[in-house]
Amino acid sequence: MTAVQQPAVAVSRPGPVSGSRSRLPGRRIAYAYILPFFLVFAAFSIYPWLATAWESLHDTRLSTYDQSNWIGLENYRNLLTNHFFWNAFRNTITIGIISTVPQLCMALGIAHLLNYRLRGRTFFRVALLMPYATSLAAATVIFAELFDPKLGLVNWSLHTLHVPAVDWQGSTWPSQIAVSTVVTWRWTGYNALIYLAGMQAISGDLYEAAAMDGASRWSQFRHVTLPGLRPTILFTIVVSTIGAAQLFGEPLLYHNGLPDGGTQNQYQTLGLLMYQQGWTNDRLGLASATAWTMFLIIVLAVGVNLLLARRRELRDHGRRRHASTVAGVPEVTTR
Amino acid sequence: MATVTFKGAQRWYAGADSPAVVGLDLEIGDGEFMVLVGPSGCGKSTTLRMLAGLEPVDAGSVFIGDRDVSLVPPKDRDIAMVFQNYALYPHMTVEDNMGFALRMAGMKRPERRRRVAEAARMLGLTDYLDRKPRALSGGQRQRVAMGRAIVRDPAVFCMDEPLSNLDAKMRVQTRADIAALQAELGTTTVYVTHDQVEAMTMGHRVAVMNEGALQQVDVPLGLYDRPANLFVAGFIGSPRMNLLPATVRDGRATLGGVEVPVPAAADGGGRAAVVLGVRPESFRLVPGDDAAALSLEVALVEELGADSFVHGHVRIGDERQLLIVRSGDRGSVRPGEVVRVRPDPARTHVFDAQTGARLD
Ligand SMILES: Nc1ncnc2c1ncn2[C@@H]1O[C@H](COP(=O)(O)OP(=O)(O)OP(=O)(O)O)[C@@H](O)[C@H]1O
Ligand SMILES: [Mg+2]
Repeated sequence: MTAVQQPAVAVSRPGPVSGSRSRLPGRRIAYAYILPFFLVFAAFSIYPWLATAWESLHDTRLSTYDQSNWIGLENYRNLLTNHFFWNAFRNTITIGIISTVPQLCMALGIAHLLNYRLRGRTFFRVALLMPYATSLAAATVIFAELFDPKLGLVNWSLHTLHVPAVDWQGSTWPSQIAVSTVVTWRWTGYNALIYLAGMQAISGDLYEAAAMDGASRWSQFRHVTLPGLRPTILFTIVVSTIGAAQLFGEPLLYHNGLPDGGTQNQYQTLGLLMYQQGWTNDRLGLASATAWTMFLIIVLAVGVNLLLARRRELRDHGRRRHASTVAGVPEVTTR
Repeated sequence: MATVTFKGAQRWYAGADSPAVVGLDLEIGDGEFMVLVGPSGCGKSTTLRMLAGLEPVDAGSVFIGDRDVSLVPPKDRDIAMVFQNYALYPHMTVEDNMGFALRMAGMKRPERRRRVAEAARMLGLTDYLDRKPRALSGGQRQRVAMGRAIVRDPAVFCMDEPLSNLDAKMRVQTRADIAALQAELGTTTVYVTHDQVEAMTMGHRVAVMNEGALQQVDVPLGLYDRPANLFVAGFIGSPRMNLLPATVRDGRATLGGVEVPVPAAADGGGRAAVVLGVRPESFRLVPGDDAAALSLEVALVEELGADSFVHGHVRIGDERQLLIVRSGDRGSVRPGEVVRVRPDPARTHVFDAQTGARLD
């Protein structure tokens, strides 16, 4: 009844008063529905977030938690002058790059292949999700075995190819590559499925039109698939960046389950460092400062990602506007 | 420029009970505007896609000029296609859309721009070259799709219902534009539509298809004046031809008490049952005392301004048949009346009641 009368009321009497009052009960119900989410969000996100901020400004220790003293930004100063922090920061970035970039490129390639009519497509789709469904610990332990410098399959294979053995645990780059391999293995299929979903939303007509226009498969990929997939790619980059910044389980379990990330901390990430500071060294305040710094780094990285995407869009617009103003003069456009 | 020849071309989709296109034989002349027309699902698009190389030819072959292209990939057939929903690249500007094929062919940018600008001028798109497709109206998008085809200067244009997304008025305008453009370029064109008005107004010749099989190929008025079978007779013309059951004896068909002379072929073979086809304008309203006429109970009169169409029923044998008759002067007939109408023997078509084939 109210639903039927409402438009008439709204038309005859301008102003939001009558309309909003009649809609109020419905709105309350809507809030009631989303309330559980906010309760959980408050308890497990907002509260820890604020508590961490508070702790990072105190000399908090687990043993003397009730007697924490306000020390201002001392923890942060400590952190930024700390050799271990910068080491972990660098490691997080390099491992992030060598795991994310090949992972996303391979995911794109696999999705592109699966997008063509292919025999056994369902099989491949399930196969792609398997690594993602595998327990992180199991996967990491098995990869650690494979990369074992003395007994591992990898060095054995290298040996049969007459390549000298690589110290996959002690040296910086090889150990980081090994850790990245676990990440890549687990997440490539997941990203490929996301890309595949994005590709299937691209109209098949476009590929037919491109085929008639003389585009090879590679050109079709470049000129139809990639542009159509741009928002999806941005999404996966953002998600992978966040994941890379928080990398923890793989480097923790890679060698001995200790948070030092190798004997010389050669693959210690920020996540591991934070854990070490808080639980091994009993310096919760410092660990909280690391947590907040990681948070800011992620916000910054994602922000830069989005900004670059926006810039690119604006540049496209700008180029077009530029092109139109000089339409009469040929060949002024740069490229 | 090129001719196009289908020789027994057949397409059978995997899992279908019957072929979508059955052994099609069709020759299209150099520079000809050929329209494929037929009801939905009759295999028009499939035929066009076989020509374009987007569907394989399961049996028979397709020739462009003297070359058998049945196994040639689309890009090597020198064909441009206008898709029903245009299939413009959404992230490219109009200019890039139109120039994409040239770019793929490795043409240098200045030459490409020149060619695109020329096509854009022909189509009135010059002001829109730097826009993206989503910032264009439906009609403009349609012209971009046309432009993308013409910049390539291909041997053959394929168009699959390019006007179906336009409103009625735009459609009439664009219909004329496309026909004029094709005449100017002189490029062999195969045009698919389900709209018989489009077929009649645009095509040099029209091929009528039904259920995957070619029914008749002729110039538009040829189809109208001498439909080869009952399907074509009923499909071409609006309002549609009246198809009435009749019996023949001694060179005359009897239609509810009215006798119509029929060609000798209709009487041969001792046939008794035929179907007479009479277009609405081939009936004449006659005075009430004319004995050789049918009584039409008028149910509805459609006044279209220039013409009026009288819908009603006649009694033929034991059956009431729907009949549509054109009346010259407006306002002369009213619903509820009974008027007398007589078919013009010279413009009456006779079809075999069994096979549906034209008899003469
Ligand atoms: N990809 C396909 N797989 C299986 N059957 C198909 C496929 N495409 C079309 N068909 C079938 O083939 C027949 C002819 O289809 P086609 O698209 O050529 O019809 P059409 O004449 O273009 O119809 P419309 O006017 O509706 O576009 C139809 O029965 C259709 O269901
Ligand atoms: Mg079709």
